[in-house]
Amino acid sequence: MVTISRFSYPEEIKDKFVATPGLKFKDGSTVSSAEIWEFMTKEAPLRFPYAFDAGANNIGRFSDDVHFLSGIKRGYLTLTLKDRVMKQHAAGTPTVLVQGGQAMDAYYAAGGIPVRPGLVMQWARNMEEGLSLRQSETLGLNILESGRRKISIDACNQIAAHAAIDNKVVPIDLIAPFLCLRCSDMSFLVETHRNRVHDIPRYMVDYPVDHENKPWAAEYIAAELRELIDKIAKLSGRKITDEVLFNEIKLENRGRRLATEIADLWWEAENPPTNSTDFFGIAFLANDFVGDPVASVDLLEQSKKEIEERIKNNVKGFGVPDHAKRLFICGSCVGPNAHHAQTAGAIFVGRDDSWSCISVPVEEEGDPYLNIAKSMLAYPYEQRTEKRAEWTAEMVKRSRADGVIFMYQWGCNYQSGVARMISDIVKERAGVVTTFVEVGELGRSEATEQSTNRVEAFIEMV
Amino acid sequence: MSIKTLEKVRKRLEERPEELKRAREDGRKVVGWVGYNVPEEIIHALGFIPVRIAVGGDDRLVEVGARYASSKTCVFIREIVGAFAENQDPFIQQTDFLAFDATCLQNYRAAEVIEYFFKKDVVVLGVPRNFDWDEAKQYFAHEANEFTRLLEERAEAPLDASRLAESVALYNDIRKTLKSIYVFQAAKDNVISWEEVYDLIQAGELLDKQEYLSLLQQTLAELQELQQNPVIEGDDGNSRLFISGSLIPRGDRKLIGIIKSVGGRIVGDDLWSGILPHLDLDIKEISPAGVALAYLNRTPHAALPYLDLASDKRLKKLHELLSESKAQGVIYHTLRYCDPFTFKAKETKNVLAKSGIPLLEIHTEYAGSDYEAMKTRVEAFVEMIKIKSEITEEEGVLADA
Repeated sequence: MVTISRFSYPEEIKDKFVATPGLKFKDGSTVSSAEIWEFMTKEAPLRFPYAFDAGANNIGRFSDDVHFLSGIKRGYLTLTLKDRVMKQHAAGTPTVLVQGGQAMDAYYAAGGIPVRPGLVMQWARNMEEGLSLRQSETLGLNILESGRRKISIDACNQIAAHAAIDNKVVPIDLIAPFLCLRCSDMSFLVETHRNRVHDIPRYMVDYPVDHENKPWAAEYIAAELRELIDKIAKLSGRKITDEVLFNEIKLENRGRRLATEIADLWWEAENPPTNSTDFFGIAFLANDFVGDPVASVDLLEQSKKEIEERIKNNVKGFGVPDHAKRLFICGSCVGPNAHHAQTAGAIFVGRDDSWSCISVPVEEEGDPYLNIAKSMLAYPYEQRTEKRAEWTAEMVKRSRADGVIFMYQWGCNYQSGVARMISDIVKERAGVVTTFVEVGELGRSEATEQSTNRVEAFIEMV
Repeated sequence: MSIKTLEKVRKRLEERPEELKRAREDGRKVVGWVGYNVPEEIIHALGFIPVRIAVGGDDRLVEVGARYASSKTCVFIREIVGAFAENQDPFIQQTDFLAFDATCLQNYRAAEVIEYFFKKDVVVLGVPRNFDWDEAKQYFAHEANEFTRLLEERAEAPLDASRLAESVALYNDIRKTLKSIYVFQAAKDNVISWEEVYDLIQAGELLDKQEYLSLLQQTLAELQELQQNPVIEGDDGNSRLFISGSLIPRGDRKLIGIIKSVGGRIVGDDLWSGILPHLDLDIKEISPAGVALAYLNRTPHAALPYLDLASDKRLKKLHELLSESKAQGVIYHTLRYCDPFTFKAKETKNVLAKSGIPLLEIHTEYAGSDYEAMKTRVEAFVEMIKIKSEITEEEGVLADA
């Protein structure tokens, strides 16, 4: 009989946790830390047991660092995404499928809830409650395979999100991603929705390549953003003015600034103040805002205070190995298993995906559409590959990384195509060892040995 | 029956690399272009010699390319990268610089990889995905002007409007003549095969344009002499097949050879390595933007996504060409990791099924290992079409009786 080890938050941290501030949400509601504690220790383990599977292969496993209290709140935001989105959707808020790793200002400002493919799949898997990790993965794989049968075996994992929409597992009101260099499959997968019965409206914000010193590229995106915002606003019923847009931009800029300030503090610290899971969670909070920018920014502020406190007291994050090898992660959509890497003696100190978008604030005066367009065009990740690699090398130096792993998903043409080029350039410019790894596990926690072995061997070499 | 000019074309193709070498010694520059919306007339009008870099069918080069651009890149792009890595292709060897367009973003990635690893000078033309939008056209017009500026820098001379007009006229004549020739291959009692016309079209990617036009005109004259009134008939006793999908460049004749070997007759295509780029190109304004926009306004390449099925120009064109060629079935060729065409295979099949046209998808690479598997499938498809045709004929006879 298989024994599943369960993760739980120890009772002895409860008093300390409930004494911390709760979270504020964009609809004006709040949740106290006592309520968060109840949810994370009683309700969530029953509704979402898979999330509390402490198996080493559970790549979405919670952080072991239970004393990093903001991490528990981040888990709360993740596990309540379904409830929050369903509630808002029922009240008329449109849900929008978007591209990952891109700024969400336009979507939130227009009154929508943007969900990237990864969040769509998390939401889809959570629609059925009480599932173990294996059951949850099987559910996800069934959705993924249904998509592949309709489209192609050559598609990347993202096809699962599109299948979840097609199969009406989750209600999406608009499919309207930014197209960019990070993703080869998004545009063609959006196109496949045109032959479906559901007839969900579709739109694409095109992203011009090779756009340096080309003002017409930003003008083109700005025109598309006007159309995008207009489409979402028609669904949400919100009246969009420049002021509305700037208010959202200011809020999300605050999140981006907090995340970059945290990164700077973290990198300068003698000891890594959090483990890899908690550190990477910061970037996601400031990138997709987990359905609620107000709550995410609130949590980022709390996270920053905790990290400052830890650095002041020279506290090392729980799980961070002594003399940990510092790894910078590149690529798209996938990353190595943080728990495996920590066991092998490494910690993740940065990531080009997500951090790229966070590193570029949107200007807060002038034409908000053009400002968002210009910031999109300035994402380091979306530059010519050589320029992107130079930025990555700079980040590698700033984060004092000892090595770089470039990971890409099966079927990801645009990232795989430049994996070697980026690895070579970063190796040359930053003077660190690099490797690139293709991940073909397709969302399973089984058969992870190939990529795990390669990552562990690389850490050993570093 | 053979067309004598085709022999001349083959001979001139063999001589072409040496000719390019001599032209370069005389100070001319050769531009290798890769893509679907590169306005070749601009390259030509600036005095450059344009050659299309499109090679396929060599799995060894695919393997070499994968070392630089990963095994998840489409087969064609991997071979292109491999060909630059080895630098043995006689046409690639003669290129002074390269012009890539970003219609397919894997193309764009290839441009970056080739520029970085093989130190090639590359000019990139951005192509909008929302191609039917006015704002996208404005963007593309800017891109065309910028593309021209970069070429002018390399030509060390500005683009002359009268030279551009001459180039446009020349290319228009080439397109017009190709279309006339194309009708003959689909006709009853044809004197030229689709395969021969396909080779002839691809010869134009490499030969001198003025000479190419002359060779086309000679070919057409020969055809007109042999068959004065080509008539396309649907029921000519053959399995009339149409090829669609991913491009089939020079060097890749695996699928075409299989179709022929099992008794299928190809009578049309909408390949971007075939007749399609030469159709519906209507240049209204003699300027870089005017020429480039005419390219963008053609039937769009599948790499440019389009969100409304009912008004999709690509599918409309496919239907139109199927009707013209009186094809009875479509072989839809998709290359591994060519997402633009692969992701649309099932949709295209369903759309054509509504018109009663069967579609067989062949998903392949340049390796020979799937030859027999492909052959079995194509053979069964050809057989099926023959049987279907016979049944239709019998039903017709019974209805008449």
